[in-house]
Amino acid sequence: MIQDHFLTLFLFSVLVALFFATLNHRDRRGFWISAGKTLGWMVLGSLALAYLMFWTGR
Amino acid sequence: MTESFPRWKAYGVSLLTLLVPGLSHWFIGRRARAGAFFALVSGTFLAGVLLHGGLFPFSSMNWLFRLGSVAEMGMGAPYVLGRALGWGRLDLLDTADMMFGYGNTFLVTAGLMNMLLIMDAFDIAVGRKE
Repeated sequence: MIQDHFLTLFLFSVLVALFFATLNHRDRRGFWISAGKTLGWMVLGSLALAYLMFWTGR
Repeated sequence: MTESFPRWKAYGVSLLTLLVPGLSHWFIGRRARAGAFFALVSGTFLAGVLLHGGLFPFSSMNWLFRLGSVAEMGMGAPYVLGRALGWGRLDLLDTADMMFGYGNTFLVTAGLMNMLLIMDAFDIAVGRKE
């Protein structure tokens, strides 16, 4: 179940990161940097929020 | 740089994305980006449908669902087609489904992405963006 949550979150983050990188990039390098940054922030931010909810909900 | 369109034509061209995601960019000459946008926005929409998200009607009693329907309408033709085919029809049992919330998020995001594409295509068409 946790795996389903994580995979869905990851898929969502990948799609959004690639979308914004495609929208804003000027060159190939810029594209991957933008996608990597967005993906990293989305995944880490979501995990941080999930753990915060888990710890405060106990 | 793309030759800029007259303003009235730019409005028409940018709204083509409501028929097929990325069609405006294709028409403007950004073929590679158009393909990527088509794959990404359609993929997000399809994932939302497969995850049992709801395609909300504007007449929903719940104001949050009504707000969601405005965002989802940004998809244009796929939203209308999906509603006509009965995809994402709200069922009380679906709301208890673990993936219902995720499906909604995907569908709402796909609509909002498509709205951004309309604005981006307009900016390119009038020469405001390269």
